[in-house]
Amino acid sequence: MTGPLAPGDIPDEGDVIKLIGVHRTFDSDPPVHALRDVNLTVRRGEHLSIVGPSGSGKSTLLNTLGLLDSPSSGDYWLDGVRTGALTDRQRTALRGSSIGFVFQSFHLLPYRTVEENVMLAEIYRRPRPGRARRSRAERARAALDRVGLSHRHGFRPDRLSGGERQRVAIARALMSEPALLLCDEPTGNLDSENTLSVLDLFDQLGAQGMTLVVITHDEAVSRRATKRVRIHDGQLSQEYA
Amino acid sequence: MRHRRRAVAADPEKKAGRPWIAPRDLWTEAVAGVLARPLRSALTTLGTVLGIGTLVITIGVASTAAHQIVGRFNALTATSVTVEVPPPASDTVPLVDWEGIAAVDRLAGVESSAALAQTDELAAVQVRTNDVVTPGGLSGQTLAVAAASPSLPAAVRGDVTAGRFYDGGDIARHARVAVLGDQAARLLGITEVNDSPAVFFNGHSFTVIGILGGFKREQRLSTSVILPPTTARDRLGLGTVNRVLINTSLGAAQQVARQSPVALTPNSAKALTVLAPPDLSKARKGVQGDVNSLFLVLGLVSLIVGAIGIANVTLVTVMERVGEIGLRRALGASRRQIAGQFLMESTTIGLLGGVIGAALGTVVVVSVSAVKDWTPVLDGRLALGAPVVGAVVGLLAGVYPSLRASRMEPVEALRAPS
Ligand SMILES: Nc1ncnc2c1ncn2[C@@H]1O[C@H](COP(=O)(O)OP(=O)(O)OP(=O)(O)O)[C@@H](O)[C@H]1O
Ligand SMILES: [Mg+2]
Repeated sequence: MTGPLAPGDIPDEGDVIKLIGVHRTFDSDPPVHALRDVNLTVRRGEHLSIVGPSGSGKSTLLNTLGLLDSPSSGDYWLDGVRTGALTDRQRTALRGSSIGFVFQSFHLLPYRTVEENVMLAEIYRRPRPGRARRSRAERARAALDRVGLSHRHGFRPDRLSGGERQRVAIARALMSEPALLLCDEPTGNLDSENTLSVLDLFDQLGAQGMTLVVITHDEAVSRRATKRVRIHDGQLSQEYA
Repeated sequence: MRHRRRAVAADPEKKAGRPWIAPRDLWTEAVAGVLARPLRSALTTLGTVLGIGTLVITIGVASTAAHQIVGRFNALTATSVTVEVPPPASDTVPLVDWEGIAAVDRLAGVESSAALAQTDELAAVQVRTNDVVTPGGLSGQTLAVAAASPSLPAAVRGDVTAGRFYDGGDIARHARVAVLGDQAARLLGITEVNDSPAVFFNGHSFTVIGILGGFKREQRLSTSVILPPTTARDRLGLGTVNRVLINTSLGAAQQVARQSPVALTPNSAKALTVLAPPDLSKARKGVQGDVNSLFLVLGLVSLIVGAIGIANVTLVTVMERVGEIGLRRALGASRRQIAGQFLMESTTIGLLGGVIGAALGTVVVVSVSAVKDWTPVLDGRLALGAPVVGAVVGLLAGVYPSLRASRMEPVEALRAPS
């Protein structure tokens, strides 16, 4: 830890995410300033939506929040832990134990069934009480059920429609019951009916205490969030409901 | 409150736990990875199959052959000693006389012995029987004539198949009797001796009193007419011992070979030539050494080629699965677990190659043995060790690709499609 912290820089109890003066610069030629002086606080159980034009830095922000990428400068506190001070191993463990992802491009393994893809969310975690290896398939079915896909559990991902793949990716994220769920365009491929049911699901998750960060282009989706921010050219601006 | 949270912040591992995967899950993931492209995995095992197969075949055939050769030594060669007696200078006494073998029989380890007299003049003699009447007058067979001690049947490990062999009485009486080798008897058409058939050659007739067959050594006597030494000297001038056959107990051959010349002729032992079997253990080693080295090198080269093949394909697989690596990192896989999975996959392929190679090699060794009528000698350690060697080859081959996989940054990896 470097130097004394200003009083406002220490997150409160209940702040799941706290970004303080975060920059992310890619050393390409020319350098890209994907995030500029981003400050953001998200509290437990909140549902944050991020909107912004293509290339504005939304995915970069999400990767940073998911500990997949590190800020070039600034601090990221996750659930009271100052992540900049962690080793690679510690970041990995924290990511595996408390963060779930729904990626823009799904990232399903083509050679595994839908059910196996969902079960994958659990193999890198120590078995917890009530979550034994034996009942893993059962829980995967339950997660698929929540997105309305239990009838497709034996399919390979390449036989599914885009919307179905997206829902499998959501089921996989639910499987590990993360404290923080990060979604990149989770409804991009869904029709309005499926979008509504996914949004209802998000509401339920929020009520259970799960913190959600959702990137979206869809105004309807954004409106269901409890908190909204807009990102433009790497800069964040608050929006008010 | 704040204090408690600081404690958590100071030790995040306690909160998150260390990256962890159940061994069974690691295995399941690796097998799924191998089976994702079954044809490619099968082709990748080929190098290891060839390498392990060659090694198993080489070692298996070599030890089978060695066992076979040594087996023959045991049965016969290892206990056979032959002493060659040079012809005496004219007018001097023979180096070895017929009673000389009694001294050999007294040596420790000697089981039987016999003296033989054969000459070039009597190697091809026209022999007739009394009852063969061939039109044209040309009858009989070309056979050899030899004189031998009465102990000959034991010395050649043969059997008297008809009648009897001559004994000391026949020798003392200078009896005009003969024993036929079984081939000689067949050629002359004599199958039994109850009616006292006779053979004629060089103007003499001899009564056939027995047939000797089943020669285990000195096979050319089977086409000979064998006479008592006294009779042979009187009638044919065949009286000088030129060969002594000795059979020893197992392991005694070397010692008997050293001692027998002295026993036969104490004063000129050096003039005798002794043919003794080679040292048994040396023979076994020699055979194994010859067969092994070239093919062992071949097998090892195939193994190295196999390892390079596995390394190459695993590297290609890693590059194709960059997106998957990113996903696994996002799901909480540590660098070590990523490396572990690809190591496990390459090890599985190597193991598979080892199992198939060992199986094929064993089949080949057994078939070769069956064709050659050998007893296959298969070392259990070899059959079990071969798959282990295959697995180690796969493990080593996987080191570089696995390191490459584990070094990938999650964000970069996730940019690739999966
Ligand atoms: N590794 C990198 N090297 C250089 N530039 C990068 C890198 N990653 C992202 N960028 C740039 O950073 C900017 C933000 O990228 P990002 O993926 O966050 O956009 P986005 O808001 O998610 O866009 P979209 O809505 O199209 O997904 C883009 O201009 C992109 O080109
Ligand atoms: Mg994006």
